[in-house]
Amino acid sequence: MTQTLDTSSPGAGGVSHATHGWFDAAYLVALVPLAVLGAILSLGPTVLGADSAAEWSMPWVPSLGIALSFRIDGFSFLFGTLIAGIGSLVAIYAAAYMKGDAHRGRFLLLIVLFMGAMLGAIFAADVILLFVFWELTSLLSFLLIGHKASDPAARRAAVQGLMVTVGGGLALMAGLLLMASIAGTTSLPGIIAAGPAIIASPLFVPALLLMLLGAFTKSAQVPFHFWLPGAMSAPTPASAFLHSATMVKLGVYLLIRFDPAFGDEAIWQTLLIGFGGATMLVAAVQALRVEAFKAVLAQTTIAALGTLTLLVGLTGPVAAVATVGFLLSHALYKAALFFAAGNAIHATGVDRLSQMGGLARSLPFTAGAAVIACLSMAGLPPFIGFIAKELLFEAKLDTGTTALIVLAVIVNAVLVAVAAVVALRPFFFGEQRPAQLKHGETVGLAAPPILLACIGAMLGLLPGLASNAFLTDAVSAAAGETIIVDLKLWHGLTPYLGLSVLAVTFGALIAWRWRSLNAALASRRMPTAIHAERLSDRAAAGVLNGGRALTARLQNGSLRKYAWVPLLAFALVIALALVSGGMALPPFDLTERPYLILIVAVLVAGSFVAATARSFLAVLIAIGLVGYALGVLFLKKGAPDLAFTQFAVETVFVVVAAAVLVRMPLQVLEPRVQGERRADAALALSIGVLGTLVALAMMGEPFDPRISDYFREVSLPEAFGRNVVNVVIVDFRALDTLGEIAVVALAALAAFGVMRGLRARRTIEPAAAQKPTAEEAGQ
Amino acid sequence: MRGVARIRSGRPILPSAILSASASLIAAVMALLSLYILLRGHNEPGGGFIGGLVGAGALVVLGFASGAERARRALRFHPIAIAGAGLVMALISGLPALLVGQPFLTHLWGEIPFEAGALKVGTTYLFDLGVYLVVLGSVAAFHLMFVED
Repeated sequence: MTQTLDTSSPGAGGVSHATHGWFDAAYLVALVPLAVLGAILSLGPTVLGADSAAEWSMPWVPSLGIALSFRIDGFSFLFGTLIAGIGSLVAIYAAAYMKGDAHRGRFLLLIVLFMGAMLGAIFAADVILLFVFWELTSLLSFLLIGHKASDPAARRAAVQGLMVTVGGGLALMAGLLLMASIAGTTSLPGIIAAGPAIIASPLFVPALLLMLLGAFTKSAQVPFHFWLPGAMSAPTPASAFLHSATMVKLGVYLLIRFDPAFGDEAIWQTLLIGFGGATMLVAAVQALRVEAFKAVLAQTTIAALGTLTLLVGLTGPVAAVATVGFLLSHALYKAALFFAAGNAIHATGVDRLSQMGGLARSLPFTAGAAVIACLSMAGLPPFIGFIAKELLFEAKLDTGTTALIVLAVIVNAVLVAVAAVVALRPFFFGEQRPAQLKHGETVGLAAPPILLACIGAMLGLLPGLASNAFLTDAVSAAAGETIIVDLKLWHGLTPYLGLSVLAVTFGALIAWRWRSLNAALASRRMPTAIHAERLSDRAAAGVLNGGRALTARLQNGSLRKYAWVPLLAFALVIALALVSGGMALPPFDLTERPYLILIVAVLVAGSFVAATARSFLAVLIAIGLVGYALGVLFLKKGAPDLAFTQFAVETVFVVVAAAVLVRMPLQVLEPRVQGERRADAALALSIGVLGTLVALAMMGEPFDPRISDYFREVSLPEAFGRNVVNVVIVDFRALDTLGEIAVVALAALAAFGVMRGLRARRTIEPAAAQKPTAEEAGQ
Repeated sequence: MRGVARIRSGRPILPSAILSASASLIAAVMALLSLYILLRGHNEPGGGFIGGLVGAGALVVLGFASGAERARRALRFHPIAIAGAGLVMALISGLPALLVGQPFLTHLWGEIPFEAGALKVGTTYLFDLGVYLVVLGSVAAFHLMFVED
């Protein structure tokens, strides 16, 4: 995988290496997301246009009113195009990036599956369906983060991410179910339409809090944001797809969907603005603290998510346009930057920004893409990021307070600084230049970032194209009312332009002093993240420790303990039933035929011998005696089939048991002490007595003969058999019998497997009795 | 009890002359008996379970007298395979019902005319045979495992 680059021939770089095995079958995987993209785009004419949507529905659980329904409106059309489009590029990039990785196929499969789950979540029109896909994305994210399973840091990050998002998912489900029960339907549009009813209900606040918990954990809001930087242990293509462009935006998507219903409530606005703002601030500071390339990008992603949450909390049409616009531009530039980061890290083998430098010469396309994307991130014209940022400022000036505006400027300045550092440092400046590069650029690695960056540039240069084509429909669908979007590059000298200039200047200052600022901040501890992370770690450890303790208690290897628990429980339950149920015992009739009493006496004697005998042989014979006596009893009481089976089973059992016992010492080894023996005897005796009492009580109940009468009447005419027992087994209740023989066969298979394993592990016996036997090679 | 010999595959467990001489005969009679029990089950006491157990008994006798190797050869197929085949047979016996639009495992009957009268045949026999084979195979598998070293 690592090809040493000959640095003595500059410019000969990666591309010439790539032309060798240019075609790689793995690239074909990208056809799947491309096909999906095509399918989504083909729905464009149906979806775009005033108030229309494409719908498809199929009943799923009719008794609960849950349906497999999907709905594509303007907003999910845009988001879906984004997901499928970036997904295709990720597939191409991943095929190139992970060349040489043994599990590349698995990774690509997971990426495609993830895309499917993500699309399912945003197209779902039923909240249960939405939840299922939501959890699927968490699960797939877990698998993708832990792709390199041998790395303990990756495993830990994957488990942490899973626990946080799934915990949030549980809260989300509770919240959604509460809302569905108030609205009377599980359909998403239905619940949104029932907004006033939900708000009026006393369960509104709990339901809202639960739902927000789910959304905030997924979208990494403070204090649940700590899992996202950890997720950077994932391979870069996964980070680019999941943790920047798509999955983390799912929480924001949910908030956008519910905004038309709850957007006017003070609690909604306060919570969203509060958490969003806090996230922005925390992430901005963190972005300046960290050193690794991907970590910086992760922190800016968290900041962007905070911004989006805040924007959803703001009211007004401008905020709606700003939300969608920022969602779009962020996805474009962040994915491109992650691709560039991946290329840089792949090429140099290091991941810290301070250790990279001067890569533009060997990674020209990547550098170009990074610069363009960074310009978009910094919000400089003429890129889409600039337009989005202007909208941001306008939205905050429109409806926000001064505090929000200050926050926005600060965060934007930090983004500018980070953009400058990320664009310039590794590619152009940088004190440390790595001596030898491991990997150059290939087509698969360079094309995706360039393409994304160019799209961002194009949308910025031709904003009218975007707004007419799809943004108007997207924003209108998101806001629930028609909003005409009119994006322009130049609005004139407006207050928000002034704010932009302010932010850019401030940011440039920070970038200039990045090195010292970074060192100063890194040395001080941050309060928020540490507590939440430690809590989640402790929770995970606690669960595992609890499991271990329980297992040590219950599964301690002592056969006696294993037998005691169910037997004792059984005895207690029976005793309880007898005492409380007050079962009546039938009149005891001792004038039974004498030979039956003799047989019962033999039975009892046999059991006694079996329990107390000292030799295995005696035990075995006694057990066989009990079985045969029972068979005779059945026979005398008029059950020939039963007796027949009993005799056959008893014979086979005694013989097979003898085959096993032949190899054991003939004396019974007694591992129990006197006290234990007494306790075991007491338990056995009590179960015997209780069982007898229950059997007697059951016989006292009047017997309902309807079933046996039915079988007796119908057996010959309908089933052509005179042996009712056999007819019932083979015909009337054949399905039960099928299940029983399946169990028997499975038990035999399992025992066979166990025996084979034991035999394979047995050590060779000592030489004394050894003759080289032709040991059968298994079975 | 003399005769607790160390087990070796292929060698008899109990070196009793009477048993060795008569084992093949006894086993053959038991096998025939097991088939008889299987076939009579529908109208008289008997059936697949009991037939299978008796058949397994035949195998057990053979195994004790002549060794596990001889018993396996008599079975000809792997005991687990026999059990599996029985399960498949029982499943298949329920399929013809689906072809005529009845629920799964509704047994169908037909008649084969003979001189002495008509012989009634039905899918129940296939099902019972399946049960027989499962029981035979499973018990044989258990026993032969324990008999060998």
